[in-house]
Parts: sequence; C-alpha cells; structure tokens
Amino acid sequence: MTVYSFYIFDRHAECIYKRRWLPRPASIVGKSRNTDSPAQSGPTGTGQTMRATDDDSKLVFGTVFSLRNMVRKLGGEEDNFVSFNTSQYKLHYYETPTNIKFVMLTDTKSPSMRIALQQIYINLFVEYVVKNPLSPAEHPGGVGVNNELFEESLEQFVQTRVLS
Amino acid sequence: MPSSTRTVFSLIIINKAGGLIYQREYQAGLRSLSTNDYLVLAGTFHGVHAITRSITPKLPVAQTSPALTSPGGSAPVGFSYPNPGVPASGLEHLETEKFRLTCFQTLTGTKFLLFTDPMTGNVDTIMNKIYELYADYVMKNPFYQLEMPVRCEAFDRHLGAWLRGRT
Repeated sequence: MTVYSFYIFDRHAECIYKRRWLPRPASIVGKSRNTDSPAQSGPTGTGQTMRATDDDSKLVFGTVFSLRNMVRKLGGEEDNFVSFNTSQYKLHYYETPTNIKFVMLTDTKSPSMRIALQQIYINLFVEYVVKNPLSPAEHPGGVGVNNELFEESLEQFVQTRVLS
Repeated sequence: MPSSTRTVFSLIIINKAGGLIYQREYQAGLRSLSTNDYLVLAGTFHGVHAITRSITPKLPVAQTSPALTSPGGSAPVGFSYPNPGVPASGLEHLETEKFRLTCFQTLTGTKFLLFTDPMTGNVDTIMNKIYELYADYVMKNPFYQLEMPVRCEAFDRHLGAWLRGRT
C-alpha cells in the first residue's frame, strides 16, 4: 500500500497541515520538513509544482466539501462519506465532531483507512496538538500543528501502515 | 441471492454539459429531493468529477538525466500517474455509511450515477445492462434529441422491469 498525501482542514475550511509522500525517489521523504513548503523543494522542484501542490489542498477541500454535502442531502444528516476512488487513487475521509477534516490519498488497492484516520486524530492530533499548552486553539496557517512531535509520529505511523 | 444484497436505490443520468437528463427512484432508502435539488446535484457532481481527475497524484519519474528534460522548461515533464497505462479518470466509486455511488462515464461524456446498497455486488454488470438499455431505447429512438431530458417510455419500462425484477 502507498500513501500519497495527507491533509488536515480546520472548521474554517483552512488547510492546517499537509504532507506528501513521493514513493519513487526515496530520499525525498526527509525528516521533519516544514509543511508550508512541502516535498517539492527537492531536485524535482520547480515553481510549477510548488503552485500545483498549494492548489491541490484547495481542490481537495472543495471536492470533499461538495461530496459531503451531497451525501448528507441524500443519505440524511448523520450519513457521512468514507472514501471514493478513481482509476488512479483512493481518497479517505474522516471528520471529527468538531468539524476537523482528515483526508488521505492512497493507492486504489488500499483497504479502508477510516480507522487509521481516526487513530491519527485520537492518538496523534489530540495528544500532540490539542493537549500541547503552547499550541493555540485555532491553527491559522498551520501554527501549532507543525510541531516536531506530531510530524515525527505521523511519519512513523504512516511508515508502519505502508509496511504492513 | 437474498434480496437485500441487490438493492438499487436510484439512477441519475447527466449529459456531457452537466445537465440532469434522467432521474428515477427504484427503492426507498435515500431521501428524495426536489427536482431543483436534483439539478443542483447533477451540476455539482459534474464539477466534482472533473476536479477529482485533476487532483490525481503525480509521481516524479525516477530519473531522467538533466539533458533530457527541457531546460527551464514548461513544467513537470518527469511525472507519471500511479497506475500508468490506465488513463486518469474522475470519481468512479463513492462509499458512505448508507449507500454506494457508482459513476460510469461513457466515451461521449454522459455520466450514469447508480445509487446502490453498500452490500450490492456486481454493480458493473448492472451498469453495463443500463448502458445497453440506454443505447437501445434512447439513442436508437429517432425522436430523442441529444443532450435533452430522456422521455422514452420504452426505456422507463424496460429499465424499471429489469431493476425491480432482479431485486
């Protein structure tokens, strides 16, 4: 199983965390990188890809937001969408009761990651971001989320998932 | 097969411009919306479908020597899709807690949206049969105007009989 990218959106529709894993050039999966200038600053980085990654998070949010509303209209207020897939990737979605949205893009053959996203919320986000006394209540621009502990453990969590 | 394993809630057909051209319910299970809401849903889905294709992850290709890539170039020459060989498509299956949505896009851009129970198997077969009926009773109908709402009694009849008959 391969994980391509991971996003967290807060209740103000802002992307407060994003991270991309690029499977092929293994060296790019570096150590705690600043999330605001993700992945692409490596050898393959061009201005074009930088912009593309920034736009990506907005497109992902728009997709998830529209689909969620559509599903709620059809399935009732308590229905929620779990995942969708195209011929190229699969998108997993988990929303907390406080409207924080967790999104993960993986390859098409991956099993449901709903539980995994929930675990990321409970075991990593709550522990290292929400309970962090130095982190603000809201995270404009990713402040408070991009701390080393959270990033390292997220990295580790995904690595173990990929290997299993 | 127990009846619960093959439940088709409803079918929506969207033309290539994002307009709703057909909508029928076959089983209760989803909330029914007003015609206006269905039109909005069709338009929204059309847009989302296009976006889901454009957010396909692009993987940088392992390496091309610098001489091969266009210098200062017009962008990422060196990327491939996760499943090379398969063209990037938009949303194909969507799963929620209560239903599963399967989208089939024809070569001409018409989209068939089938809402089924999450347990329903063989959705592709159902979809193929629907497409076949559409080709036979809508496209071959000399009075049907392309891209306009489908009002073909024979199509309704056959589709209804088949979808209800198989449950």
